[in-house]
Order: sequence, then C-alpha cells, then structure tokens
Amino acid sequence: MNRKRLGLLGVIASAALAISATVVPAAHAASEILIWADETRGPHLTTLFADHPNVVPGSTIKVVTFSSYDALGAALDKVTGTTGPDIFVGGNDWVTKMAKSGKLAPVTLTATQKSKFAATNFFDLSYQGKLYGVPVDINNVAMVYNTKLVTTAPKTYGDMVDFYKANKVSKGLKAGLCITGGGMAWGGLSGLSALGADPYFMRAKGVPDVYKGFNGTTFGNNVKKYLLDANGKSNGFYPATDTGCADNFKAGLVPYATIGNWEWKTYEKLGFTMNFMPVPGVVAGTYGHMFGSVNGAFLTTYADKHGVAVAAKSLLTNYFASAAGQIAYEAIELRPPANLDAQASASVSDAQKNMANAATLAGIPQIGAFLGSNAGGASYWDSSGGYWTAVLVNGKDPVVEGKKLAAIWKKNVAVGKADL
Amino acid sequence: MSGFMRGNVALMGKIFILAMVTAILSLLTEHAFVQKEYAIGSFILFAIIALNFTYLTKFSIPLKFFVPGILFFIAFVIAPIIFTLSMSTYHYQTGNILGKDESTAQVLALGAEPDAAGTTFDINIGKTTSGEDAILVSDIVNNKYFISTQTSRTEVPIDALTLNADKVATGAQGFTLLSADALSKSDAYSKINYKYMGKYYIAIEGQNVGAVFQQSLSYNAADKTIRNVVTGAIYKDNGRGNWAKVGAPDEMLTPGWRAPIWFENYTKLITDPKVRTPLIKVFIWTVIFAGMSVLSTFALGLLLALALNRKLRGRRIYRSILILPYAMPSVMSILIWAGMFDTEFGAINNILHTHIAWFSDANYARGAVLLVNLWLGFPYFYLICSGSLQAIPTELQEAAAIDGANPRQIFRKITLPLLLQILSPLLIASFAFNFNNFNLIYLLTGGGPRETLDGQIAGATDILISYTYQIAFGNNTQDFGLASAISVLIFVLVASISMYGLKKSKVLETFG
Repeated sequence: MNRKRLGLLGVIASAALAISATVVPAAHAASEILIWADETRGPHLTTLFADHPNVVPGSTIKVVTFSSYDALGAALDKVTGTTGPDIFVGGNDWVTKMAKSGKLAPVTLTATQKSKFAATNFFDLSYQGKLYGVPVDINNVAMVYNTKLVTTAPKTYGDMVDFYKANKVSKGLKAGLCITGGGMAWGGLSGLSALGADPYFMRAKGVPDVYKGFNGTTFGNNVKKYLLDANGKSNGFYPATDTGCADNFKAGLVPYATIGNWEWKTYEKLGFTMNFMPVPGVVAGTYGHMFGSVNGAFLTTYADKHGVAVAAKSLLTNYFASAAGQIAYEAIELRPPANLDAQASASVSDAQKNMANAATLAGIPQIGAFLGSNAGGASYWDSSGGYWTAVLVNGKDPVVEGKKLAAIWKKNVAVGKADL
Repeated sequence: MSGFMRGNVALMGKIFILAMVTAILSLLTEHAFVQKEYAIGSFILFAIIALNFTYLTKFSIPLKFFVPGILFFIAFVIAPIIFTLSMSTYHYQTGNILGKDESTAQVLALGAEPDAAGTTFDINIGKTTSGEDAILVSDIVNNKYFISTQTSRTEVPIDALTLNADKVATGAQGFTLLSADALSKSDAYSKINYKYMGKYYIAIEGQNVGAVFQQSLSYNAADKTIRNVVTGAIYKDNGRGNWAKVGAPDEMLTPGWRAPIWFENYTKLITDPKVRTPLIKVFIWTVIFAGMSVLSTFALGLLLALALNRKLRGRRIYRSILILPYAMPSVMSILIWAGMFDTEFGAINNILHTHIAWFSDANYARGAVLLVNLWLGFPYFYLICSGSLQAIPTELQEAAAIDGANPRQIFRKITLPLLLQILSPLLIASFAFNFNNFNLIYLLTGGGPRETLDGQIAGATDILISYTYQIAFGNNTQDFGLASAISVLIFVLVASISMYGLKKSKVLETFG
C-alpha cells in the first residue's frame, strides 16, 4: 500500500471514528434500572414512574414496552447473562423455564413483607424453594352473568344448563357459558373444575396435595350429563373454543361468561352490572376452581452483571411489593392488588375488591412446576383445550378422554413436585 | 477539469461511504466484544479489513463486486449452517442454556441458603473510618446494633448511634453512610458477604435490608466437584451439562450448561420412539404436502395459462384478476382464510350450511392447508407458464398440426415436455420452498390438530420445519439441540432432492 492509499485509509479511519462518536448510543447507564413489560403493563408502568421517579434513591427507572405478551416472552427467551432487563413485570408463566435456565435471581422478603401477602401467592413466583419475584397484582377470572337475561345468581352448574336449554331458541342463545378472557386453558380452568377436573388440589394449609388426582370417570359423566345431548354431541352450552365469546356475551347472546380481571372496566362501560362469582359446581355451595394467581415483578441475573442488583431489589421489595406502590400502580392498571393492605384500601374500586374476593373463594395458586410439566405426555396448557376438542368437537367419549386427562395431570404433578 | 472534478467527487463519495460502513461496523464490533460475542466481533472486524483492503487497493477488480455478497453469504448462510451443525451436537435445552462457567457461578450463588428463621435486618450501607465497605445493622428484636465488614463484626453501644422513630440506626460513630448517588454509582459493596455469626453472613438484599445466609455449596477446584457443606453431598460433572449427585445421578443442581453430546441428538431421531414415530409421520406428510402443492399449483396455473394463451375478450382483465392473490401479502391471505374456515363464524361453513370443524379434524385440516396453498401458489405458475408458452416456437405446433396431430396430442407430446424442460428448476425450487413452508402451516393451523390426550407432539398438518419450531420454541422445555439436528436433516433432505432433480433435468449441464 503506497503512501497515498495509507493516507486514504487514515482519512477513512478518522471519518469512521468521527461518525461513530456521533452515532454511539448512550450506554445503558449503571444507575438506571431497566424494566420490560408487555403492551398493557408497559405504558402503565411508564406513567407510574413518570409520576414517581425517585422511588429508588440514586437510580432512574426506564420501562421498555413490548408489542404483546408473546413478544415479551420471545424477548425473555433470548435474555442472557450479558443482556436483558433488570426486572420484568408480567404473569408467572415463565418462572419455571427461566429459573431452571439460570436467568432469574432470587429475592428475599422480610417476614413483615411476606405477611402482607396470601401465602399461596409465593408458589406462583418460586422454583425449587426460592422466590424469584414479588407479587404485584392478582391475576384471575370471575364468572359474570348478564342481568338482562338472568335475574338470579345460579346456585349450581345444572341451574345454568337448565336456563340455557329453556331459553336457547326463544332468546337465540349462541352458548350458555363461555370464556371471554385468558383463553380456554387459563381462563377455562373454572369450566373444567366446576365439573370435577382439577390439575391439582390444595390442602387446607395452602400446600399442594401431590398425591391426589381428580376422578376422570366422575368428570366424564358430568360432561355427559351437562354438556352433551342424547346423541353424545355437544348441546352448545359450553363451546370448545373462546372464539366469538366476548362479542356474543356483549350482544346478549350468552347469559354467563368468565371474564378476566383486566376486562371488567370494558363491560362496565358497556352498561353491564358486574355480578362477580366463581363458576358454580354441580352441587350447591361448591365452585369450580380458578387460577387465583399473581402477576409479579421479577429480578433477572442480568441486574447483578449490570451493577444494579441492590437498587433493583429495593425497587421490588420497597415499592412493587408495598401497599403504597400497588395502590399507585393499580389505580392505572385496574387489577386487584396482591398486597393485602392495598386490597383493603379505600382507593381500590369495588370491582377490583370483588374480583379479589372471587379469587379468595375459589382461587388456587398457579403452580408452574405442575402446569408446565409434560411428563404425562402433555402439559396442562395443551391437554385442557385438547379435552374439549376431543369431546365437544370430535365426539369422543367424555369418560375415556376424562380418564386420559386425569392420568396425564397426575403424572405431571408427580414429576413436577421435584421443582417446587 | 470536469473529469478531474468527477474523479474527485467519486473518490470523496467512495471515502464517505466506506467511512460510514466502517463506522457502523466498528460500532457493531465494539458492541459484539462488549457482549462477549467474540466470533461475531471477529467476523465484523474481518469484514472491515476486507472491505477497506478491497476498495483501497487494486488487488482484484472482480472482488470489488463480489466482496459484499461474499460477506453476506458468510454471515447469513454459512454461519447459521455451521452454528446449527454445532448446536446439533450439544445438550442444549431449557435448563442447559448457559456456558459452564456462568452456570457454575449461578449454582454457587443459588447455594446461599437463608438461615432457618429467615432472619433479616434493617441495614445502612457505608464505610468504616478505614474506608472499608461496611453495613450498620439494626437488630431491633434483640435491641443490638453492630457494624459488619467482610472480616469483622463490631457491636455499637446505643449511645454511639443515631436512631430513628422505629429504633433503626441511621448513623454511628466510625461509620460513614454512602449517599444515594454513591450507592448507585458502584455495586462493589453488594458483592461482599458481611460477617455475622459462625458460618452465617449478611448479604445485602436491598438498600436497607440485609438477610442472614450460609453458603451451602462450595466448589473444590482440586477434584472439580461441588460439595454441599450442610448435607455432605458431592456433585460431579455428569458429562451432559449438569452437576449430578454422586450416588444419585438423577439429583442435579440447576442451572446446567450446554455440553457436547456429539451425535446423541441424531441417534435419538432413530432410537427414541417418542421422537422417531412423530418424525416419520411428519416427514411423510411433508413430502405429500410439498408434492401435492407443486402439482396442484402447477396444474391450475398451466390450465389458466393455456386458457388465456388464446385470444379472448377481456383477457387483460382476467390476467390482472388472476395475479391478485399473488400480489396480496401471503400473511394476510392466510389469516383471512383461517377466519373463513372458522367453525362457528367462518364464511365457508356459512355458505355451505355446514358445521365442519375444519382445523379439529386431521383430514379436513390437511385439505384446507392444500386448498389455501393452491390459492396462494397458482398465480406464480400461471405467470411462469404464460411466459414459457410464449417462448415455445409456434412452428413446432404448426408442423405437428400439419402432420395430423390433434390439440391434445400437440399439448401432450410437444407443449408439455418443452414446458417441463423449461420449468423443471422452478418446480424443484417450488418443492423445496413448500418443504419448508412454515408461514402457511404456522398461521393457518399451527400444525394442528393434535391428539394431545394421546401424547401427540406433532400435529396432523405439521411439516418438518413447523415440527422443529414446536420442539425448539413451542413447549415449556425447549430442546434447541434436537431441533438443530432435525434442521440439519431437513437441509440434507432438501439439498439431496434438489440436487437429484437438477441432475435429472440436466439444468446444471445446460448452464455449465
């Protein structure tokens, strides 16, 4: 290379450096806590921390919003020890997978802080006995009924089916009970449980009973009795999918619906009177269980590498888990807060309180170690919807399929207990 | 003068573009090295050198045209193939994602166990008079206060403290509090285990909280084992990316790391019935799907091309309409079709007055997939066939007609063979494309229906690539190693089929 070309190279190198200096993005500041959230929580958190910027002395907080819950999940899949958020806020779906892969860091709460939550809340955020986040708000569904169609609350599952059969033609009903929020697997647990299918059972002290499974025959016979006609085909009371459920319920073509606790405001705006209750069971006074789980704020291992682990832990325990923090956040997010003091606060709406009450009455913790396990051949998430497709769409025998479902879930629990 | 100006402007333009590219690539290199992505960083560095050398010297003129393409080819074709090949030899799944060092550090960090009572204290973070990192601890329950450093614990009398209303010490003689600014600018204080009692230490769990822990796991570099100092259990590297308990190999510490298992993922494809059985079914359907798709789209495209090859009133309008499905983004088309096939609200069931669960029955779902692919694919073959028909010399057909051949014979004996000769590479390419037609399957049926209660992982419409995706990303346990092995298998299959087809059609010879 001659002198002229060396000169050119020098010019290019200088120009490159000059351009680099102008385009180098500001480095992720060491005192900045980075939070990831989905498209609904993200804007709410941004508003929250714009209003409360100094909740962690000496640190600033930046919220990155993802376009959807799935997009957040996909991004979390790619998190490594050298990149990612310090904290993310969301459901507890990813706890088992991320903790197992060493992407989450444990959090320690004081005894006083722990006492502010229902003991079962911590199942959802734990893996192998370690807590990886703090409960932020309750994630549950509740059944509501359209008071323009139904005047009194049903006492049993049979009451609802009878109403549907009696009014199907005259009122042009499209279904009896359907799921508007949370999908057929998560939101639809109460539909399964009301007829006798539970993925696991809890003992009185809030400890899972890892030896007990549901009776597939009893469940199958209940399905046969309440959901099938004389020819063994679906009577239309309970659709196998949630497609169109919300629209039909809003249009007055479905009397009962299970809604998510993030949806109640929509229905209130549409003029619905909120009558929250769990899905009644086949015997009066019993109810189908629902996931009375909690959304959490989780600490990643990246926070330590990034040098903000202590500040991030302070944000989690002193703000996200505190009554003051949850009252401020839930005034925007509109879910029932998980902190018991916040739940009791006058600032929390009646609808939020009623949702929380429904969870107290029939909620079970969302234990990822059981639900995500596919030791039995399929996880709860895949098999629950699979049952309805097999029976209500493909016309398979509800008892035979019910026994298969029971066997799958029992094995999932038996293997998943090692991860508790 | 103008030539001189043009030359200088061109040179300035070249320098500017090269500087821009070098700047951006330098930036990427720096980021890659910071993220410890050394292979990526090194490659970008190589690209910077290659680009500058090529465009600043007269080493090779053709290289000036080829070098960007070669770099992109290496980055986006060669590198992914090498990475996939490499990952297919690893135990690389949920729980075994990190490298060994990072995983072991994480295991040891998780080995910090809180004391039985879960003791926590109010603390303040600061420094001693000697400048050592320290915490001022308030044990309110026992009315005791002490300053802890990594090596010492000194009780502080109450009269040497400043207490707040909750009796938490906020200051002490010989202890300087760190300001909020100082706390946020360094985290060295957070890495220290502050002395408590015996084997127990205090770790900082927030700016004002300390918790009592003991380290239950310790690494022994001499024999490369991890020992649980509480239970005495020994954990050894099991060669598959986990620290496994000696005497009880199923008891493993988490997280594990990705470890080489060489050809195990490949042998699993053959020996593990849980993998083999669905794989065979999926493979058969993939071949049928790709074959049927090519045949049907080609047949319909050719038919329409033949029909519109003759003079016809409104031929331009028909041609424009036929191209519309091709002009519309396929993602939109697929989602619209998915809606049309909906059991309850879909247009198809409404028009036919049926209540078919299109995506819940294996045969209906497969039919729907082929139908939608026909819709998406026929305009391409219509366009290609139209063009190719124009390219066939009319003299051949006229000569055949003079010799007494009827139109069907002319088509079968002259037009079709000539068309096939021209279109063979495109038919093979179309087969290869449909073999990996992930979008259609993922967006239309998600690979389903699956008999999940019978333990089916693969759905009735899953093709190899969607099945691979299901294994890699679709479950709670993501098996990237196995998915990579199947990807390599797909690559070999598609490459073999394509090579065989190209060889048979003698296309390469034509161009060679």
